[in-house]
Parts: sequence; C-alpha cells; structure tokens
Amino acid sequence: MKGYRKYFLNKLLWFLITFVCAFLLNFILPRLMPGDPVAAIVSRLAQGMSNTTGVQAIYQQYADLFGTNKPMVEQFFIYVRNVFRGDFGFSFAQYPRTVADVIKSSIVWTAALQFPAIIVGWLIGNTLGALAAYLKGGFDKVLMPVSIFVSNFPPFGMAVILMVIFGVSLKWFPTSGGYGFDLIPSFSWSFIWSVIVHYQLPFWSIVLIAIGGQAIGMRSMSIYELNADYVKYSRFMGIKDRKIVGYVFRNAMLPQITGLALSIGTMVGGALVAEIIFSYPGLGSTILTAVRGGDYPLISATTLIITIMVLIANFVIEISYGFIDPRIKAAQSD
Amino acid sequence: MSNPVMLEVKGLTTKYITRFREDVYAVDHVSLKVEEGKSLGIAGESGCGKSTLALSLMGYYFPPLHYTSGEIIIDGRNISRMDPDDIRRDILGTEISYIPQSAMNALNPTQKIISFIEDVVQAHEPSRTKKDIHDLARKSFEVLGLPAEVLQKYPVELSGGMKQRTVIATSVILSPKVLIADEPSSALDVTSQKMVIKMLKNLLEHGFTKSMIFITHELPLLYNVTDDIMVMYAGQIVEKGTAQEAVFDPLHPYSKGLMGSIIVPEYGLRDVELTAIPGVPPNLKNPPAGCRFAERCKYVRAECEANPVPLHDVGGGRAYRCILSERELRDFYTREAHMREAHQNAG
Ligand SMILES: Nc1ncnc2c1ncn2[C@@H]1O[C@H](COP(=O)(O)OP(=O)(O)OP(=O)(O)O)[C@@H](O)[C@H]1O
Ligand SMILES: [Mg+2]
Repeated sequence: MKGYRKYFLNKLLWFLITFVCAFLLNFILPRLMPGDPVAAIVSRLAQGMSNTTGVQAIYQQYADLFGTNKPMVEQFFIYVRNVFRGDFGFSFAQYPRTVADVIKSSIVWTAALQFPAIIVGWLIGNTLGALAAYLKGGFDKVLMPVSIFVSNFPPFGMAVILMVIFGVSLKWFPTSGGYGFDLIPSFSWSFIWSVIVHYQLPFWSIVLIAIGGQAIGMRSMSIYELNADYVKYSRFMGIKDRKIVGYVFRNAMLPQITGLALSIGTMVGGALVAEIIFSYPGLGSTILTAVRGGDYPLISATTLIITIMVLIANFVIEISYGFIDPRIKAAQSD
Repeated sequence: MSNPVMLEVKGLTTKYITRFREDVYAVDHVSLKVEEGKSLGIAGESGCGKSTLALSLMGYYFPPLHYTSGEIIIDGRNISRMDPDDIRRDILGTEISYIPQSAMNALNPTQKIISFIEDVVQAHEPSRTKKDIHDLARKSFEVLGLPAEVLQKYPVELSGGMKQRTVIATSVILSPKVLIADEPSSALDVTSQKMVIKMLKNLLEHGFTKSMIFITHELPLLYNVTDDIMVMYAGQIVEKGTAQEAVFDPLHPYSKGLMGSIIVPEYGLRDVELTAIPGVPPNLKNPPAGCRFAERCKYVRAECEANPVPLHDVGGGRAYRCILSERELRDFYTREAHMREAHQNAG
C-alpha cells in the first residue's frame, strides 16, 4: 500500500501541474484572438448613433464593466480571484447574461445528449466486438469491415449523412435545434415529444461512430484473451465454457473502461461537431458562438470545464484502475 | 507387476488440421502404461510432439487438434468414446489432470488463486461450499509447502517459481489418478527448477496423484525423477524402458545419441561435441514412409526407408523402434566406445 500511496501523490502532483498550465492557457489563448469584442458590442448597440462622444462613452462604460482596459496581468489576477469565488463574470456577446447562466442552460442539453450516446455506443460496441471474437465466421467478416468503415468516418460526415437521409430526404426527423422553434420549454407532452424527435439524429450520429471504435477494440482484446494460456488450462481442469467466457470477457473489458471514462471526459469536445451541425442548444454550440463573438469569459469558462473534465476523467482512471484490474495494480506499486 | 494400471493408452493417433487444411500427424500410434504410484518420463527434441501427446492423453480435443484413433483407459475406464461434455465434467481435473508447458501464463490474471480453485472444484462438485473448498485448498498448500497467503493473491503478485508451484498444486486439488506435467520446470531458474521437481516427487508420495507423466526435452532431468522413460521422435515412440535402461543402456540410435549428453562427461570427454545429432527431424506434414530417423541415422541401410518400422518389444516392458537387432546395435555401440577410448588415450 505504501507504494500505491506514493503513486497516488505523484499522480496528483502531475495533475495539479497540468491543471495550472491549462488554466493559464485557457485565460491567455482567447485573449490573443484578433478583434476587439467590446467594439463589436458597442457598434451593435450604437447602431444609428452619430454622436461620437456618445459612442466613446458607451465604449468606455463597457470596457470598465468587462475590465478589458486594465493591463493583462491585472485582468488575470482578477479572473483568478473571481473564478475561485465561482464567478465567471458577464458574457460579452450575450450581455447582460452571466457566463454561469449561459453555461447552465446549455450544459444540460450536452449532458443529456452525450451521456446516453456514449454509454449506449460503448455497450453496443463492446457486445458486438465480443460476439465477433467469439462467433468468428460470417458475423465477424461482416461486422469488422463495417466497424472500421464507420469508426473512421469523420464525425461531421456521419452527421451530414444522417441529416440528408433521415432529415432531408425521408423527413422522419427535424434537422436542427433541440426542440421546435415555436415551442416554449415546459413539461407539456408536445414539448417533450418535440425534444425526443430532435434528439434522434445528433444522438445516433454520435452512437454509430462510438460503436465502430469500441467494437474494433473489444474484438481484438477478446481474440487475444480467448487464445491466452489460462483458457486452455481452465478447460483441461474441467471448468465449463460459460465460466471461461466470463473470464475472457471480463479481462477484455477492463481496458475498455479506460475508453469509456475518456469519452465521458472529452464529452464536451466530442459534442462540438454534432451540436453545431444540428444546431443543438448545448455547450458545443455555445463554444462556437463564443468564439465567433470573441466572448473571452465564455470561452475561458467553457474550455476550463473541458479541461477539468478531461483531467478528472484521466485522474479517476489512473487512480481507480488498479483496484479493478490487478494486472495494473502490480505495475503501479513497482 | 501387481499394481493396478492407472493409465493405459493403446495406439493413440491424433493430428492437427492446419488453416490450410493440411494434416500434421504429431502423435502416431502411441501406446503406454503407467501403474499406480509410478511415474513415466517422456523425452525428445523440440517439435517431436511431446506437448501434443500431453494434450492428446487428456481425451478431450478441440481444433486444431483432432482425434484419429486409439484408446485411453483411466483406471479401467475407457474414455475414448465418451461424450466430450461428460469428459469435461467427470474426467478432466478429477481423473486426469494437466500442468501446461507455459504454466507461467496458465492462471487468469484478474482472478485470485482461491477463486480459481473454487471454480475448479465446483465444476465437478457443485454442492461443495466455499468454506469447505478453502479448507481443502489450505490443507493441500500446506502439505505441499506453499504458504497459504498465496491463495488470496493474484497471479501477478507471485514470482515465476511460486506461480508454477501454485499451478501444480491447483492441478492436483482433486487428487487425480493421472497427472500429466508438460515441461513444468523448463522456463525456471535452477533453484526454482529443483523446487518444482521436488514438489512433483512429493505429489506421488503424499497421494496427491496416483500416477504421473513427466515431459521434458532435458533428459538428465528424468533420471532420478521418473521410474520409466519413453523417448519420442517425430511423433512416434522410439524407445521405452526403465529410467536406468533408457539412460545407461539405450537401444535406439536416436536415444543413444541423446543420452550421450549424460554419459559422456563420466568418461571425461566433456569438450568433445558428441551430443548433437546432425540433421533435423522430418516435417510431420509429410513424414517419410519408412523409419523416420533414417535420414539422420549413422547405421542407416536401404531397407530402413522402405517400410514403416514397428516397435520391437524386447520383453520386460522394454521396446525400441529399429530394424536392427538388439545384438547388432549393441555391437555398434561397444565398437564405438572402444574407438572413443582409443582416441582418448592417443590424445
Ligand atoms: N496448433 C498447431 N497447428 C499445427 N501444427 C502444430 C500445432 N501445434 C504444434 N504443431 C506441430 O506439431 C508438432 C509437435 O508439436 P509439439 O508442440 O507437440 O512439440 P513439442 O515436442 O512439445 O515441442 P517443444 O519441446 O518445443 O515444446 C510440431 O511439428 C508442430 O509444428
Ligand atoms: Mg512442448
């Protein structure tokens, strides 16, 4: 256990270092983008205003409000202080909404889209991969090429294909939005139905790609395990096939858990493409509008969320994996 | 001769069918007998079919290995025509047990030793409780000199030698009548090797198994360990006898060549390379029609390659596969010994 504690502290230290670096970049990078977002807001507000001093005053007011006229270093420390208080400030582009408010309303959509999609894709993919390894023959010969084809599809390609086939040609599902644009969010049946219908295309465009990747990984892990010496030995000790298949798939599955945790960690990034193409009101679309509008606080906050999720996912994998898989545990305490 | 026979094998022939639909006859008409309390050693070069024989003796076949003909009788019970599922439930692990060549990787890496032992026992005796199995395992491990803590560990937490001994102890957990050990020590360092050999000898003494077959490519290992020895060449038995006979008085030219490695040092000829037999064994996909050793044999004659050579029974459990008579062979061997001596004296 002593070895493990050292391992734990070592990992923790590295994750903290990574976090600090990522935090810095999250702050700096958006602010290096060309363009003056305050000017953009002001020009929008001041449309039709001819009074230059008036425009100047409005600009000054917003620059003070957002703190953009202060030196970068000072801005940074203000940012750090506020973040630790849980305050991400105002969204530039959607003023007077706060960043927290914007994120709160969009993160629910992303989580509701991504969590089920990742888990369904993972489960179906692993089951198919295991079956392909176990059944071999025709099933394997059909499944594998299809999986390889599907998993190598660029995500936008899959989304566009589904959109064209099921949205545009067959008109089974709507092609954009999280719900009908003429509805107001509520718990009415017509709203819930609209959400379900809008959900399908983005959901399946993510699931299909995930299935392909998981199936390929699971298949090769299972084939490897099926040929392991312990399978033969267990057979010769009279253990039933059903039990041995249990050993094999457990062992093949354990490394796949890493993949699951990682895709949950990178969920927001993974959502980008599907959300943008289907104009889904989630965090992915929010990031796109934030980047377009030079909305520093919103960009920093969303990328910070991504950073934290990825780091936590990695950390949890590294720390907990040894408990699930004794093969890794041995390596950890070396 | 009064001991009951634990394992009797008659004319066992098995083959691999490769991916390209070729047949590889790796075990060809093997017959053998092991009595209660006895051990039999099987020796031969790499690729001569030792591991295949070990697998074939279990009576349970799965691709690419296939049964062709022959009979396997364990303690009077003929298992050759038994249903494979019944063999698995009633024979494997309980009547006949196996220690794989690569016992290092024979354990499921994500399962504790005790949990695997539970699975083994419950596969045959489903009504046995966990507590009962734990008691059994602890007792066996103790008698075999293995610490009981091993039971609570995962295979990765054990050293190579300990893993090997754990596999051995697991194989005999249900006290089989026959134990087949396929090179259980060849991947280990010398100290662990000795421990494993000692443990195998103990198995018979303490009744963990009623008889044993020990397979190895290192002949010196067999002497002092097994009662009888069989030498295999290209899927066939070429020599059978007691350990004493096979090591110090081999009849077949191949065994003679192999045994050179032990005998020669006693004559002080350590630096003279006499042990390696020139040439390579025949391809088992297409074995020669006549004697399979003919190509490499010093005493080869035209008749050797014409017809299959039967195993010639000398009596008293002794046999060899050669068309030359015992007399002719011995004459060759004494003449060679004289020549070696002369050479040594001259040098
Ligand atoms: N799965 C297989 N498919 C086809 N041929 C095989 C297979 N396994 C072994 N063989 C062939 O059968 C023959 C005997 O192999 P086997 O493993 O029994 O030899 P061995 O005496 O145990 O050798 P070693 O000392 O290296 O363990 C060899 O010629 C080998 O090429
Ligand atoms: Mg072998």
